[in-house]
Amino acid sequence: MSMTHKERVIRALNHEETDRPPFQATFTPEFADRLRREFHLPPMFSEPHHRDWYGYDLERLTGQDALQVGAGWVTNYYLKPEPYTDEWGVEWKIDPYQTPFGEGHYTNIARNPLRDDDEAAMAYKAPDPTRPELYHNAERLVKEFGEEYYIIGRVHCTIFESAWALRGLDTLMMDFYINPELANHLLDETAAYHKEACCQLVRRGVDMIWLGDDMGAQSSLLIDPELWREYFKPRMEDIIRTIKGLNPNVKVAYHTDGCNYDIIEDLIEIGLDVLNPIQTECMDPEILAKEYGDRLCFFGGIAVQSTLPQGTPEDIRREYEWLKNSIGQGGGWICAPTHHVQLDTPIENFFSLLRTIGIEDMRS
Amino acid sequence: MEDLLARIAECVELGKINKATPFPPKMKGMDGAEELTLQALEAGLSPADILTRGLIIGMEKIGVKFKNNQVFVPQVLMSAKAMSTALKHLKKFFQDGSVQRRGQFIIGTVEGDLHDIGKNLVAMMVEGNGYEVIDLGVDVKADKFVEAVKAHPGAYVGMSALLTTTMVNMEQINAALKQQFPGIVTFVGGAPVTQEFAHKIGADYYTDGPQELVEILNRISA
Repeated sequence: MSMTHKERVIRALNHEETDRPPFQATFTPEFADRLRREFHLPPMFSEPHHRDWYGYDLERLTGQDALQVGAGWVTNYYLKPEPYTDEWGVEWKIDPYQTPFGEGHYTNIARNPLRDDDEAAMAYKAPDPTRPELYHNAERLVKEFGEEYYIIGRVHCTIFESAWALRGLDTLMMDFYINPELANHLLDETAAYHKEACCQLVRRGVDMIWLGDDMGAQSSLLIDPELWREYFKPRMEDIIRTIKGLNPNVKVAYHTDGCNYDIIEDLIEIGLDVLNPIQTECMDPEILAKEYGDRLCFFGGIAVQSTLPQGTPEDIRREYEWLKNSIGQGGGWICAPTHHVQLDTPIENFFSLLRTIGIEDMRS
Repeated sequence: MEDLLARIAECVELGKINKATPFPPKMKGMDGAEELTLQALEAGLSPADILTRGLIIGMEKIGVKFKNNQVFVPQVLMSAKAMSTALKHLKKFFQDGSVQRRGQFIIGTVEGDLHDIGKNLVAMMVEGNGYEVIDLGVDVKADKFVEAVKAHPGAYVGMSALLTTTMVNMEQINAALKQQFPGIVTFVGGAPVTQEFAHKIGADYYTDGPQELVEILNRISA
């Protein structure tokens, strides 16, 4: 059975069996460097949201079936090597960390500009999402690789995370209760910006829009499900309806870390096609398959919080089989690490994942 | 009098900060933890009673509910805010010694890690249960933990991390603390941290939530 990368993803998302599950992965900048060395590629900076054009050599050499391009606030991660303020006003700092495989850097939020200023928060306006230059890479990606590969437009931090970057997570959480007007205003701004970004990407021909907002904690939802239904469900429903209105064939995926059982039924109701990232530390793939497998596809599952950095190739194989026989049963699963592959991952663990999936090792 | 303490506890449990805040809706326009604490002081209740039989009872209740997944982070934040607003009016009694803390707890997110929501929750719950909390913030190096213990002899130490790439720093921090202060009691927590990891690096306790940690503290400081 020979099929293109794109066909493999489309079939899997139609709940059809494929020769192997489709695969997708993103890398922190320093892990990408290590991979480049494995493939004898010249060093270059790249970040996992593909804000700029880095080519897609690493993705293609690691047998990925879906290629992704980012838009929206999330592309402010890894923006500069020194501290910076993004165009939304959020201040960032650079935090180095050590691993057995060298030093890495995260960019982290240093200051939430609207934290202590209710007046500024009420007057806040998001930047202009219609600037064509924000979508040039998406256009190029569809044009150069859209025949052969499945193209994902990634619009993470869609509503909640970009709003709390501005206001502070704890402050926004209390705003829900004591300052609902302010919370609604900020969520309107972030949702409207990212809805427009989704439309821009859909018009340029992406196959999937990958929304995201981390809503889960390790063993429950981060916020009361009722609060989610009040503040987030209608806004997400609007975004999904708008995307499908432009092109009903575009699939919508949603990234939310952690334990999200409480809202999965709601997500299906508002038209979600694919749930990501399925952290098995927090949710059981067998339960997901049994309860939702006929109505939802899954994307992720390979644990970056445990198995990939700390496990053995045997652990990786066992986890893969567990996923393939649950959420991957009869299609419906894009195999992927649960987050960017981190620098603390042994390189052979990553390649043993590829071998386990059935992807050829293209190092030579 | 007992009624006033029970109402203070209820305000903390439900996150009713003061009269002006509209949350929870069913208590709109009613006195909150702040007003009731002032009334209790005026009525001659001892600050120690207000703390241990009012405020702390409320925090314990919300802590147990959080542990049982009956409430979520935003509600705990509201309770902590009600507690801390009331505590401001008791501050001078801590300073003049008429109210004793149960102990001191030093906490920080370890070097390289900037995630502080879990750490802040633990800090709020520990403070809300009658301990003095010395919060070192995020990205805290071993030296800073050591300095803090020097300044607060006998304090317990809690270390937090969210990332696998930074939790490894706990080992070195724990070792530095144990070497300089052999009797020190250390706690570790955060999403990727496990009992096994705590054992491996020689930390005394791992807990997967703030309420468990408070229960251990209450046991060992009694």
